[in-house]
Amino acid sequence: MRRRAALALVALLAAGCGRSQPVVKIGFVGPLTGDQAPVGQGMLNGAILAVEQAKAQGPILPGLEVELVALDDQRSPTQAVSAAKKLVADPDVVAVVGHLNSSCTMPASAVYHQAGMLQITPVSSNPQISRQGFETFYRTCATDDLQGPAAALFAVRELGARRVFILDDMTTYGRGLANEFKRKLKGLGAELLGHEGIPQGDKDFTPVLTKIKAYEPDLLYFAGMFPEGALLMKQRLRVGLTSRFMGGDGLYDASLITLATPEAAEGAYITTIGSDVRQIPTAQAFVRAYEARFGPIGAYSAYAYEAANIALWAVRTAGAKDRGAVLAAMKGLRDYPGIFGPQNFDVKGDSLIKVIGIFTVRDGRFEFVKTASWD
Amino acid sequence: MNSFELLLQQLANGLTLGAIYALIALGYTMVYGVVQLINFAHGEIFIAGAYAALTVILMLSGLALPWWAVLGLCTAGAVLGCGALGWGIERLAYRPIRRAPRLNAFITAIGMSFFLQNALMLIFGATDRQFPTLIPLVRWQLGGVTLTLIQLVIWAASGALMIGLQGLVMSTTLGKAMRATSQDLVACALLGIPVNRVIAITFMIGSMLAAVGGLLFGLYYNTINFHDGYLVGLKAFTAAVLGGIGNMPGAMVGGILLGLLEGLGAGYLSAQWKNVFAFAILVVLLLFKPRGLFGERVAERA
Repeated sequence: MRRRAALALVALLAAGCGRSQPVVKIGFVGPLTGDQAPVGQGMLNGAILAVEQAKAQGPILPGLEVELVALDDQRSPTQAVSAAKKLVADPDVVAVVGHLNSSCTMPASAVYHQAGMLQITPVSSNPQISRQGFETFYRTCATDDLQGPAAALFAVRELGARRVFILDDMTTYGRGLANEFKRKLKGLGAELLGHEGIPQGDKDFTPVLTKIKAYEPDLLYFAGMFPEGALLMKQRLRVGLTSRFMGGDGLYDASLITLATPEAAEGAYITTIGSDVRQIPTAQAFVRAYEARFGPIGAYSAYAYEAANIALWAVRTAGAKDRGAVLAAMKGLRDYPGIFGPQNFDVKGDSLIKVIGIFTVRDGRFEFVKTASWD
Repeated sequence: MNSFELLLQQLANGLTLGAIYALIALGYTMVYGVVQLINFAHGEIFIAGAYAALTVILMLSGLALPWWAVLGLCTAGAVLGCGALGWGIERLAYRPIRRAPRLNAFITAIGMSFFLQNALMLIFGATDRQFPTLIPLVRWQLGGVTLTLIQLVIWAASGALMIGLQGLVMSTTLGKAMRATSQDLVACALLGIPVNRVIAITFMIGSMLAAVGGLLFGLYYNTINFHDGYLVGLKAFTAAVLGGIGNMPGAMVGGILLGLLEGLGAGYLSAQWKNVFAFAILVVLLLFKPRGLFGERVAERA
């Protein structure tokens, strides 16, 4: 699947050079190498599909073909900013879909804002990003000030958690989500035993897990990404920590279960910033097209597809290769017929479709439990 | 779980990590001993060992062999592969510039590290690779302390290799030649000791130890990535300096000490500063003992 996607990318890029036909470009940035590459690749595939479908409908602007430019941020904030600068320096680029990590989206959003370029992040869920007041910023997912409380409510009311230990990965996303979870948890009467950070990219978490074991929690909540999440799941069994494991949408990727092994992941709960795309009637055409083109659907493929489609819509509506016109068109968006239903954005640029889903791992697969409420 | 059991558990965790550091640190210190070169590519040799073992495991996966047979074969594959790699690096990159100023060798080593890291990325891909759990998850509960079979395997393998290496260096002709070469290369050559061969063998032994370290790392953490060699290599280098670079028992003690300190620091102080402890301790130690814990002969050679 990855090879085919890479070929598609090469084809798209090859189409961009050595040819004089004028184009209009949509940027994509996400982690395409490194430990988070599987998720970034799934997002890129969603964006590729959207652009391909738009191309099939004819020129997006009079006489202009649309082209996708994919850049890699390696989940590093510095790389994210340099990718953003590269995109804004290219006068053909009028909108960008990205990034994955809030820690990347946050600094990059300032670059896009300065250049007056539309940015739609598919999944960066830290609420602070849209509070910066950038009129260039939009996002197609729910935020962590909903996800955190929803997770806390589910943990206490439905899983009966009474003694909770929180770990996060010290990123904009992880720390932000952990704090939102903690805030709600305190109001629900569960006891918070501790809250610690772990360095992203580290491999050995047995010391902190051993320490947590001594607190005898009944729930370990981890706000972070799946590479570290998988190691935590696995190593907690090694030190004999048997409490229930729960985490946020950063864990929502099939790689979590393969890296952790199905046994270690069994019974874990995770929240997602949207519901199960396979269960949404309006998303069925997308699911079929994606799976026919790339194979199994990635965790965030649908959000990247939606974000790319909205960006393409804005370019089409603007009717000109002009960043200001694209932004103005975006402001006029009402009830866009997206795959999650009619899509609208509030003044901060956040999607009004706010759904928090809850999944559990059963027999080595994510199983949808329910959509959750946050108050 | 009382606080004493907690301490024992943290020591066991730290010892496991330390045993792996020690194996890698030996390679740094042995090479420094004979040619006074910090082989910065050693971290990449370590992770290449993990990839070599993974390749053998994947090749054997269709044969339904018992786990210990797969373990034996992939150990052999990793050790032979890395031995050859270490030999090749010495022959192609370091030997031609052995008489050049020290700085040239230093830059060559850094370049070799970059080269290997990118070669590994091109060959094995940029994403995390899952490393199979060959050794069954067997746990023992001793009071409040949990020990696993993989931990015992790591301790035993690391301990046996260190004892074996010490025996090799202290009581064989080859070991004597290595020690002599480390004292004076030119004089050894004049006395008819084949110094080129001794240096090549030293590189190979160091690389083979790193290969075992890489295999154990893969087995313990179950994911490997081409850039894992960098941080682990840096930690092992720290361990070698901690013990006194050029001193073999120092590297062993340094590695284990570093693992223990990291484990205790993360367990008792704060997990988020885990990587800081190792380097903070190195800085403090070097302020008071510039040659490391067991450092020797550094000044007279410089």
